Parts: sequence; structure tokens; C-alpha cells
Amino acid sequence: MNANSNLHPIELSLLRALEKGQLMSIEELVDSTGLEIDQIRRGLEWLRFKNMVQINDKIINIVLLGSNGKKAVIEGLPERRLVRAVQKDGINTMTKIGKARLFDNMNEMTKAYEIAVYRNKWIQEHLPEGSISEATSEKILTATKGSERLSCEEKLLLKLNKKQITIIDELNAEEHKSLNLFKRRPNYIVEQKQKITEYTISSKGKETITSLTNKDQVQSERRLTQEMITSGKWRRIRLSPLDVEAPVHLLYPGRKHPLINIIEEVKEAFVGLGFTEISGPIIQSSFWNFDALFTPQDHPARDMQDTFYISELRQEDNLATDAHIEKISQIHKIGWNNKWDVEEAKRIVLRTHTTPVTIKYLAENRPENARVFCIGSVFRNEKTSYKHLAEFNQVEGIVTDENVSLQDLMGLQKEFYSKLGLKKIKFWPTFFPYTEPSLQSMVFIESLGKWVELFGMGIFRPEITQAIGIKNPVLAWGGGLERIAMLRFGLHDVRELYNNKLEWLRRTPRCPL
Amino acid sequence: MRPHILSLVAIGEDRGDGNTSLRQIIAMQEDLHNGLGRHRINASIGIHDLDRIKFPLTYTTTNENFSFIPLDEDVSRTIKEIINSTQNGMQYGYILKNLGKYPILKDADSNVLSFPPVINGSFTKVITTTINLLIEVTAKNRKIAEDILSILAAALSDAGYKIHIVQIKGNEEIINSPNMNSFRIDLDRNYVNKMLGLDLTIKEITKCLNRSRLDVATIDDKSIGCIVPRYRIDISQPIDIVEEVAIGYGVYNLRPTLPPSKSVGHRNRTSVEFDVIRETMMGMGLLEVMNSNLVSRRVQYELMGINEPEKPLAVEASKSIEHEILRDSLIPSLMRSLGRNIHEGYPQRLFELGKIFKLNNKIVNESWFLGAVIAHNVADYTEAKSIVQTCLKIGFGKDSITKPARNPIYTDGRSADIIIDKQAIGVVGEITPIVLDNFRIRVPVASFDLNLSLLLLL
Repeated sequence: MNANSNLHPIELSLLRALEKGQLMSIEELVDSTGLEIDQIRRGLEWLRFKNMVQINDKIINIVLLGSNGKKAVIEGLPERRLVRAVQKDGINTMTKIGKARLFDNMNEMTKAYEIAVYRNKWIQEHLPEGSISEATSEKILTATKGSERLSCEEKLLLKLNKKQITIIDELNAEEHKSLNLFKRRPNYIVEQKQKITEYTISSKGKETITSLTNKDQVQSERRLTQEMITSGKWRRIRLSPLDVEAPVHLLYPGRKHPLINIIEEVKEAFVGLGFTEISGPIIQSSFWNFDALFTPQDHPARDMQDTFYISELRQEDNLATDAHIEKISQIHKIGWNNKWDVEEAKRIVLRTHTTPVTIKYLAENRPENARVFCIGSVFRNEKTSYKHLAEFNQVEGIVTDENVSLQDLMGLQKEFYSKLGLKKIKFWPTFFPYTEPSLQSMVFIESLGKWVELFGMGIFRPEITQAIGIKNPVLAWGGGLERIAMLRFGLHDVRELYNNKLEWLRRTPRCPL
Repeated sequence: MRPHILSLVAIGEDRGDGNTSLRQIIAMQEDLHNGLGRHRINASIGIHDLDRIKFPLTYTTTNENFSFIPLDEDVSRTIKEIINSTQNGMQYGYILKNLGKYPILKDADSNVLSFPPVINGSFTKVITTTINLLIEVTAKNRKIAEDILSILAAALSDAGYKIHIVQIKGNEEIINSPNMNSFRIDLDRNYVNKMLGLDLTIKEITKCLNRSRLDVATIDDKSIGCIVPRYRIDISQPIDIVEEVAIGYGVYNLRPTLPPSKSVGHRNRTSVEFDVIRETMMGMGLLEVMNSNLVSRRVQYELMGINEPEKPLAVEASKSIEHEILRDSLIPSLMRSLGRNIHEGYPQRLFELGKIFKLNNKIVNESWFLGAVIAHNVADYTEAKSIVQTCLKIGFGKDSITKPARNPIYTDGRSADIIIDKQAIGVVGEITPIVLDNFRIRVPVASFDLNLSLLLLL
């Protein structure tokens, strides 16, 4: 068996880097192999396990920048700051320098002066012209040509700043001298002892790599090309193994909007229960959106504050059959004890629910039995917030048959939820204007540990079904789909479903577990 | 105007609890004003301190110069002042607009109890120590006044008040108010069981209704007569009694049953066709987005650099400029989606299936459209055309051609109509740099849209 087949490509790279028998730190291996630091750590572990590398720990003395040293990297050493000040117009005497407040204290200023003038010879002093005595006039300071060069202390400072760890033994003579000068200045440098780990190839490792190199006379290729395949060159080459564990980029998939995924699931649940899909316009007359559902004409839900009306449009033609208009107006006059105005019924609304579509279906087809459902956009004139939208998607299912009851409605509901993965449900009596009896359903969401209100349901009031010529009871249920989508995708703000953030659309899991 | 007035007297007792029951009645008054009273348009309620009042009361009309001290004020004001300069007047005065006369309720000493539906007088103000009450309801019609008063009477009675009759002399009749006459609804046992899916005996139904605080007069072993108190205005039909039975029985005791289906279900044609479109779009790497039907004028026209049509389909009184008009094209919303994602990785290829709305001879036409935008460094007309023609070919087996056509959102010479069987069903092109700049998009964008309602008719 080929020894090569036992070596991972990372191991191979590491052994090649260590082949000469020298000691190398992890950082040096990063530089020489071009591998990621995690890959190197992993590879070294494997090689250690196979006894192909040895570890050598040693203690070294290192030097790091202290707090003043770090400050000096940014602002310059005190003597450098002094020279810079002198080069600026006007600040050319010690009195003026004192006033400019360049230094934390007098001591620092004095030290800077001594180093700049005497040690580094960056500054010359002379008396002003015409003056003869230091007693009467202060010396003028000027920067010398020498100030343009870096001092040996500055050079060391830059070196310490550039390297994370500097080993004292590796410093040259001049750097040693600077180091000693720095030691006399407080908090510029810190000396520490540190353990470093270095790796070297073992004799077993060396044997393996040598035998490999000897055998490895066949040319190794990284990529199989069309040319290699057609020319037959593939017979003479060997494809090098890849790091099959290396990370890769995820792709941008073409996919459906997550809410569409939910809508399709809901449709499938309905179809499985024997329901047929119907659809209808978003633009509706008030007649079908409200009047046919027994909503009194002065009901607050019909106010502009709650419902979107289209300015100045009226449904003049094809509002409904004369018989429908007559019967609906009758139930309003009896039920709401006020007059009913056909003009109000002609107003054009953006449907506030999908029920105008289902009720119109019933009125036009007058089925003795039917199961239909409708999914689509509905509108409410609301300010949008984390829990409200002006426009959302609603689903509604209706069943009519000679013998269907409230318990059947509950059973259909339970089955419907169960198809969506919601198993724990309960019912609650409630009030809806056009159903009686009416129930509210709640489902238990395990991940939240609480009950959440979902669809409302009920049996259409007999006034309504009789007016449109339906003999049998009509069971109905429905509600917004966004709530289900939020629960499924773990959203807390309903607006996130519609703001089309690509990161979310591309990456949100199709079926979160 | 408000021709109807009904009233009751409630005699209370001081229970030293800071009059919490009175507070509850006042809270209820507000709910009734807003609900049944439709914000006082249909009816309004006045609650007064009975002990300040000297009977008989007179409900009459007056003119705008009549003055009295309104509730919570110290000085006398004319009706005109109240309507024009007090908060209540400005809020409710419009209900009496253009009538020329104003309703007013006074006692025997001409002290004003109320000026309905705007405000009460200060004279009969109710405070926390008030014990005995007079309540009056004025309304557009008598039924609403009776409904409201019966609800209040029931609540007051529950709170320990003794209700006394007030006699009202109308033009034609003398009314004893409040009317607390219960009424009777007869229903079949079979009907109850059929609607609920149960098999209850008359005795069991009676027990359920009693739990819902309704009395029952048994007729025979097939039907019952349910006695409904006047204040249960939510009950008018046998079905309402069925609900009371369900509640009395306990909804949690009902057993969900799955009725067998007589029909085989299926989705409609649009759903199936949309599956095909989504499949081809996804296959070509496009990502679906969803935008609202209601959009802002700014995105739809201003940023797209096109003129607003003379009559856009605007909704009335929208609470947000984001929802002003129904969109007449999908492309602006798609452009905005690109504009909001400029920090995300490219290429960005998006599509949307949605409705667009156009006004045609006072009728709104709704059509389904497919829109798509392609955005990346080298996005161009050719790529957009490839996608749309591939979609038409593999989705619907249709060969299409493109003919040059000018379009204000597309660069001149780089846009075309998409034509099948001599009929234009869409537009494809490269978006102009000015539009890109308006949306802050920094890469070229090519786009197309297809009229699916038209396509699916071909």
C-alpha cells in the first residue's frame, strides 16, 4: 500500500516544510505552507499521533511595548515631540515650549530636552543676535539636520510595534543598547518569559517523506482538464488529493419566497381534504365585501379609517342580481332597523377579507354541497407595525352540505392544522358579525411554550345564506397566513416577510427543524 | 334630529366603596356611545344625579342663543359657544349641523340636564358620592334607545341598584320606561342537534340554556320556547339560541368529527400555471420576492422617472405614503428591492408574480404579471431576453420574438416588446442609468415583465 494514501494533504505539506529537520513554530509553518492556522494545528496533531513530528518546548525572554511605549508609537517619543515643536514657527525657546503644554510634567520635558540636545544632537542652542548673556535673554533652539534621522530608540520602538513578540536574544548590538536605554524610562517596555512550542520532523517522518519523494516520480496535477482527458495524458498523471474538509462558499439559490412555501402547504392541506381552489378580484364592491355579509352600513369597519376605498369609483353595472339586492336590503332593514342605501353598497373597496369571493361563489352557484377555499391579498387601512400590515394574505375555507355541524367544523379545523404540523389545538367561543355560532381556535406552539390564536370560524348566519339562496348550513374558517409563517420561520416582526432582505430570502431554512 | 328619549331611575345605596359600580356604569356608557350609539350619531346617554332634579322633565328644542352651564365649567355658555369652542362641541356638534334647532332636556325648574348628544349640564353632575341616578337615552329611533337602556338597566340591577319606571308622555302615547319585556324564540330540538352535531334531549338543552342564564318554556318533546331577556340584543334568531346551548354545553365538551368529503379537491388553473413559472425561474437561478399591491407614488413614478398618469388608482385616507396607489407595474417594486440590497452579494436575480391594476373606462382591470430584474456587473439586455424566452419556451412551449420599442425606463435602442403570435405580451430592456442612480444601484440592471393573464389566454 502506498504510504502516500495514508497521508492527508495537510500532513504532506507540513512534512515537506519540516523536511530539513529544523525547528519551526506554528507561525513559521503558516508562512511556509500557506495553510490556515486551524489546518496546521489539526495536521500537527495527526502527525504527532503517528509519531512523525516531535515537539520541543522552550522558554524564551521576550520584550513587549508598555503603556508609554504604545503611546509613543502614536504620538512620538518626548524628544521627537520637542523637535517637532521647535521646527514649528515661533516655538523656539524653552519658555514657549513650556507654555505649549506638550508634556505631562516638567520632568518629562527636562528629559526630552537633555536627550534631544545632548544625546541625539537633534537641537542646537544659541543666543539671539545681538544678545551677549544668558542672563538677559533666553537661548534660541533650532533643529539640526540630524533630527531627520530616526534615533536607535525609535527604530526599536517601531520594531517592537510591528512584531507581536520580540525575542531578546535575537536583538542586535544596537538594539540591545536601545533596550537598555528604554529600561531607564518608566513603562516603555515590558520584559517577559514565554513558553514557545516548536515542531521538528521525527526519524519516522523523515523516512516517510523520503520514501514518498522517491516513489513520487509520477507528475502530480491539481486539476483535471479537458485536454488531459482527450489527449490521454490522464494516464501519465496523478491527481493530487484535495483538502476535502476545507470550507467552501454557499451558493445563491433560485428559490420561492418562504411565504409561498407556506401558501403551497396550505393549498395542499385543503386539496387533501377535498377542497377546490377558487379566486376572485381584489377590487370589490361594498355590496359583496360588506352588505352581503350583513355588516350594517353604519358599522365602524366600513369607515375610511379602517377600509381602503378607491376614490370616486362606483360599481354601477353588475353589482348583483336584482333578487340579491332586494333580499340583502331586506335583511338589513329588518336586522338593523334602519334604511339601506344601494349607493353605499356601490362603493369600491380593496377587499378586507376573502369572503366576498366565497360568498359570491355561493350566490352564483347555489351548491347543495361544496368544499372550496380561497387564498389571496386582503387590505386594512392600518399603520404598519411589527404586528400589523396594511396588506396581508388570508386563507378561507367553506363547506356546505345538508348535514354539517359545529363539531364537523371543529374536526375539519383539527385535521387542517394537523396537516400543517400543529397537533395541539383548542376552541373558544367568540363573536363574529356574520357567523353564529362562532369559535376562535388556538394552537400550542412547543417552541414558544404557549398558546397562540390562529383562525376564526363559524357557521354563516341563516339571514345571509337564505338571502343568497343557499339552503344548507355553511361552515367557514379563515385567517391570516403571516402568523403561521412567523411561527414557522421564527420571526418577531411581520414586516420581515415583505421587506425582501436577500440575506433572509437566500438563507432562511426551507423546513426549520 | 333625535326624536326619541327614554329614561330610567336607579336607586342605590352607599356601600362605602368609593362607588366602584358607578365607575363601571360610566365606563360602560362610553362603550355604548361608541358601539351601538355609533359615536353618538345614533344614540347618546346622559347619567344624572336624581336628587338634584325636580320632575317633570321636558325634552324640547331651543335655539343657538340659549345658554346654560355645561358640565365641568363654571360659567354659562350659549349653545353656539359650546358647539364652536368646547372640545365636546367640536367633536359631536356636527351631528346637529344644519338643523337650526337644538334638543335640550330640562327639569321643572328649567335647570338643564343635557344638550344631547353634545354635553350634559353642570347642574345634575354625578360625583363619587352620588347615590341615586336618572339615566336618559336620546336616539334616532326607539329600538336603539330601548336596546341601550335595557343593557344599562340590567347592569345597574346586577350592581345592586333598584330600577324604577319613568313615565314619558309622547305626542301619541304614554311610555313606561325602561322596557324590560323579555321575548320568546321557539326552536326545534332537531335543529339544535343538527347544527351542533349532538343528540341532546329537551331536558339537556334546557339545562344548557339555564347555564347561559336563559329561561325555557317547554312546548313538547320536540321543541322549546326560549325566554330571552330584553337586554340580550345579540339574540334574534333560533341560531343565536343554538350558540347559547353550545356555550352552556361547554365548547371544550364538543368532540371534533371529520365529515367525509363528497368532492375531490384541486387547485385552480392559475395556481398550476404559477407552479410552472416558478419552476422555470428557479431553474435559471432567480429568487422570488413579494411586494405589496399598494405602493407609494415616489417609487412607482418619481424614482422610475415616469409621469404619473392623470388618474392613478389612489386609495382614500391612507395612513401611510407607502400605501397610496395600486401598482400598475411590478418593475418599480423590484427595483426598490434591488436598491435595498446593494450590500448583498451579486449577481442578484429576482422575480415576482403579482397583480397590476389599470383603470379602463371607470372599471378596474386586474391582471397577473411576472416581473424580473437581473443585476450584476455584466447584466444586459441579452441575459434578460434569454431568461424570458427560455421561460416561455420550456414553460409554455411558446416561441417568442422581440421587436424594438421605446420605453421611458429603458435605455433607447436597448428595449423591445416581447411578441407571441403577433400579440405583445411583455417588455424587456436595460434600465436607464438615471433610474439606477435614483435607486442608488451601482451595477447594470436588465429587466422584463410579462402579462400572464394575456399569456394564459393564448
